[in-house]
Amino acid sequence: MPISQSLFRRTNLLLMAAGLAVLVAIVGATLWLTLATERNFADVVAVREVRSASADLMSLVQDAETGQRGFLLTRDPAYLDPYTNAVARFEARFKRLTVAVADLPDMDPFVDRLEVSLNAKMAELARTVAAAQSGDFAGAVAMVGEGRGKSLMDEARAGFSSILERSEATLVAAIAAQEATAARLRWVTIIGAIIILALAGAAAWTIIGYTGEIMTARRELESLNAGLEERVAERTDAVVKANEEIQRFAYIVTHDLRAPLVNIMGFTSELESTFKPIEAYVDAEGEKADDLKAEAVLALKTDAPEALDFIRSSTRKMDGLINAILKISREGARALKPERLMLEPQLEAAAAAVHHQAAETGGGITIDAQVDKMVTDRFSLDQIVGNLLDNAIKYRAPDRPLQIVARTLAPRSGWVAIEIEDNGRGIAAGDHERIFELFRRSGTQNTPGEGIGLAHVRSLVRNLGGDITVRSEFGVGTTFTVLLPADLRTVKRSNQT
Amino acid sequence: MTHAKPVSIVMIEDDEGHARLIEKNIRRAGVNNEIIPFTNGTDALAYLFGADGSGMVSSGRQLLILLDLNLPDMGGVDILEKVKGNVHTKRSPVVVLTTTDDSREIQRCYDLGANVYITKPVNYEGFANAIRQLGLFFSVMQVPETP
Repeated sequence: MPISQSLFRRTNLLLMAAGLAVLVAIVGATLWLTLATERNFADVVAVREVRSASADLMSLVQDAETGQRGFLLTRDPAYLDPYTNAVARFEARFKRLTVAVADLPDMDPFVDRLEVSLNAKMAELARTVAAAQSGDFAGAVAMVGEGRGKSLMDEARAGFSSILERSEATLVAAIAAQEATAARLRWVTIIGAIIILALAGAAAWTIIGYTGEIMTARRELESLNAGLEERVAERTDAVVKANEEIQRFAYIVTHDLRAPLVNIMGFTSELESTFKPIEAYVDAEGEKADDLKAEAVLALKTDAPEALDFIRSSTRKMDGLINAILKISREGARALKPERLMLEPQLEAAAAAVHHQAAETGGGITIDAQVDKMVTDRFSLDQIVGNLLDNAIKYRAPDRPLQIVARTLAPRSGWVAIEIEDNGRGIAAGDHERIFELFRRSGTQNTPGEGIGLAHVRSLVRNLGGDITVRSEFGVGTTFTVLLPADLRTVKRSNQT
Repeated sequence: MTHAKPVSIVMIEDDEGHARLIEKNIRRAGVNNEIIPFTNGTDALAYLFGADGSGMVSSGRQLLILLDLNLPDMGGVDILEKVKGNVHTKRSPVVVLTTTDDSREIQRCYDLGANVYITKPVNYEGFANAIRQLGLFFSVMQVPETP
């Protein structure tokens, strides 16, 4: 299917738009996935912060407990320093944990519970330290011995570990989410690349196809162009040839018509001059008349009839010439009736009409119909073939049996060539054009003829849109080739329409 | 034409009426030489060059050739070419007497060696007059013997 220019433009625009859309989609998806990555990364950072804050707080609380234990054991206030430091920094450390935890979901209950345990622990530590500072070391140790501090510490540891567990879960989720995001990004990139490649391929295919068509069209145009030039040259040749023939025809007609006219005028004046001796004889008297008688008799009996004979024969000749010209010109004006003809029976019928004449010489007519049918004017074709066969018989070589081959072939598509080949006396090379001219003949004039047949055939062939050519070797034989359009209806005739 | 051997006029003219009129008018000019008429080129060539076509038959003849260009079987120009191309006939004067007044044809005939080219006048008066003058011309002209 040929691609039209608008279709090509639409297809390419569509492909380009699709490519652009895919590109935008890829960029969008990438941006979105990058955002997801950022989110996941923030989660990871938050978890890390929670773990770090938890560990710090835990170690602070342990520091506080260590300080308390050291002080109670040694009763040396110097051991109380870790406790005092821890108490001083407890608020800030706890605050840091609550801030860190705020970024993670569903952590508040755990933090609240941890806060309660830690506050209780810190309160217990404060109570024992306060008791010891007031000098009641025994009471303070007894308080530690109750085990409440230990159980609070265990609670706090459990609180920390549940926070860590919780944040661990978040970390695992964030990592999984990140892996999924990375996979998605990979797929989007791969699929997008495939789609863009496919679109580019489709566009390239369309362009290559379209370019190919343009090249083909251009080649066709070039060959058409060349063909056109050839046809113009052919037509010009034909026109020049036809023009030359018309001039030649006009010349022949005027010359041949003028010749008998000169005779008529000449012998009229000769006839006139025969009157003089007769007149003289009639006017003369006596002996003088006898002298003039012989001359008058000669004029009356010989010169006058001769002049009249020539006048008569010239008039007849002129009439014949005019009839021949009329016949040929009528041929050009006759309406042609194109009909489907089977060539073999057509040639057989034409051959049958002259067969006995060919058979008399011991020869025969062979028919070789390589092309079977054509559409043309039956009457014209009969006349053409009939005339050519007549000529072949008329101008046979007397010393050998006459062999005629009537052949049809297709030299090129749309044309039919009819060849009539004989082994007759042949035509001298100088006369190959002349034989087609009106009133012209070639070779020894040993058969009657007017020089009309081939002129008539040529005008018939031309009328059918064809041409006739001759190949001949003097003394060997002659082949006439009639080239006709295979279908007369396809020939535009300027004198019709 | 006062020679030991009489000059023969070979007249190649396809129209018998023309031939007769030419003969009459030449005679009227006082030319009494033999006139050998031919109505076609084939017979004329046979006479001029013999059956073998060598032209030996014309050796020793004194010929003047009157030639019409429009012949039924061949062009008069072909005859002219043959006559002027043959060693035995090339010195024979050739008078082309024809209706053609085409300048190229006239040039061609002179190129081929025609000695005189005369266009037949269309009206008979002119025709008769031209032939008579040609006859007078014949009567004073020298014709060589062919080798």
